[in-house]
Amino acid sequence: MQQRLRLLLAAIPITALTLAVPFVNRIEPRILGLPFVLAWIMGWVALAPLFVWGIGRVEHRW
Amino acid sequence: MTSFAPLAIVVAVVGGTLLFAFSSVRHMRMSPQEYMVGGRGFGTVFLWVLLAGEIYTSFTFLGAAGWAYNFGAPAFYIMAYGTVGYIFWYFFLPWIWRMAKERGLLTSPDFFTARYNNRVLTTLVALVYCVAIVPYVTLQLSAVQIFLTIAGYGAIDAQLGAVIAFLIITGFVFATGLRGTAWASIVKDALVIGALVFAGIAIPMQFFGSPAAMFDQLIRAHPDHLVLGGLTAPKGSLWYVSTVMLTALGYFMGPHSISAVYSAKDENVLRRNSIFLPLYQLVIVLVLFAGFSALLIVSPALHGPAADQSFLLVVQHFYPPWVLGFIAAGGVLCALVPSTALLLSGAGIVAKNLGGDLFGMALDDRSRVLATRTMVAVLGLAALFLWLEYRTQLVDLLLLYYNGVSQFMPAFVFGALWKRTSSWGVFGGIVVGLAVALGLAATGTSPFGLNPGFIGLVCNVAVLVAISLYVNRFDPTAASNISSKI
Repeated sequence: MQQRLRLLLAAIPITALTLAVPFVNRIEPRILGLPFVLAWIMGWVALAPLFVWGIGRVEHRW
Repeated sequence: MTSFAPLAIVVAVVGGTLLFAFSSVRHMRMSPQEYMVGGRGFGTVFLWVLLAGEIYTSFTFLGAAGWAYNFGAPAFYIMAYGTVGYIFWYFFLPWIWRMAKERGLLTSPDFFTARYNNRVLTTLVALVYCVAIVPYVTLQLSAVQIFLTIAGYGAIDAQLGAVIAFLIITGFVFATGLRGTAWASIVKDALVIGALVFAGIAIPMQFFGSPAAMFDQLIRAHPDHLVLGGLTAPKGSLWYVSTVMLTALGYFMGPHSISAVYSAKDENVLRRNSIFLPLYQLVIVLVLFAGFSALLIVSPALHGPAADQSFLLVVQHFYPPWVLGFIAAGGVLCALVPSTALLLSGAGIVAKNLGGDLFGMALDDRSRVLATRTMVAVLGLAALFLWLEYRTQLVDLLLLYYNGVSQFMPAFVFGALWKRTSSWGVFGGIVVGLAVALGLAATGTSPFGLNPGFIGLVCNVAVLVAISLYVNRFDPTAASNISSKI
């Protein structure tokens, strides 16, 4: 269970930044003026630290 | 009138940084462990600074802006791959570090010896690293020349400047080792973040009112620039996915990155860095903003590699000399600091894995430090000579770096996950992976628009698994005795 949870926490941002990108490959809707695909990538890069922190929590590292 | 202010700032900043770093490590007693991996004593913040200092090279400054200018959306991969790499390697770096700590590993090929104990494999890895490092360092030399040319408004002999800068940093590595690189990274990282915030925010605001308004204009002028091409198009969607995967999987495979991993004080230092390093990726978007702005500002349009200089030309034309000076100084440090790390790890590989392991030279601590220092000087001078004589041919060899070091990934990952991974499986995988990746890249073929290195990596893993299964059938004892769990 614990093992699955940490793999899931890793798989979500990794999938969002790789396999999901061709499906969000468009300019509209613009987010804060950015093209959608760029805002998507930036958003997931910004969220990545939360996911990695979460993996550490599941492992009781901190 | 030509102003020498920018050059004076570059000289002062670079000189000051090196002196600051040198004075911080002056009194260290040098053992091989201290010289090559900082005595395995780096904490979270110091390692973050070092890794950022090593990873973000002049490519971050020039190449990323050039990609944004030339290709548009494919440049987004630069933000994504580092982030994916940090998440993926979170699971493996602590295991690598533990092995390094237990067995006293100093270089990346040392890991291959510890895990696989096959002299042929270790030698292959050491040789690939050596051949890959030199063109990478020479690329940084060309970057120094570009920065000095622009900072001097074309009025000085920038090649001579690059030669002098390189001789100085070779001496710097000789004296200070990895800890010196880490201290120099402090100044470099701070300056780079400052320069990029300026370039990515101030330039769009001044010319267009805001970054959002810059994108309005860009979408009107170049409607296709900001989305990826079709699924199998060159630099299309499949290219994006495969490139992010390849470069993320190969993320810590540079010889200097492995040295940095060894230098951590404990495992959690590495885990915490997997949290904080993606934040640096967010800064890269600013380079892309600068490159996009330049596309709208610079006319006539630049083509090919000249686009790498696009936003520097904007700064040179429209901003005061001191701004140009600080940005060029950040750029020069971006080229020099990663070069120090690469020279050091390359010298360690030659001195320990080729000289020591193969020929039994320089085995005690004192002579090993001396041998590594000597190799720093030799490699530095060799890189300089090759740059002066053969720089155009060397650019082609860069393919070997980018496609080559990623092929070492299965050795680490399968080595951690699968006890039965055989040394000859790893050997065969690397040879086949390299051959496929370089063959495809050299002939310019890319099936389905996939990155050639990625296809090489898939073949590499297939060969590794096949040979390991085959070897195990005849020799069940071939499985290693590595019991440490990841």
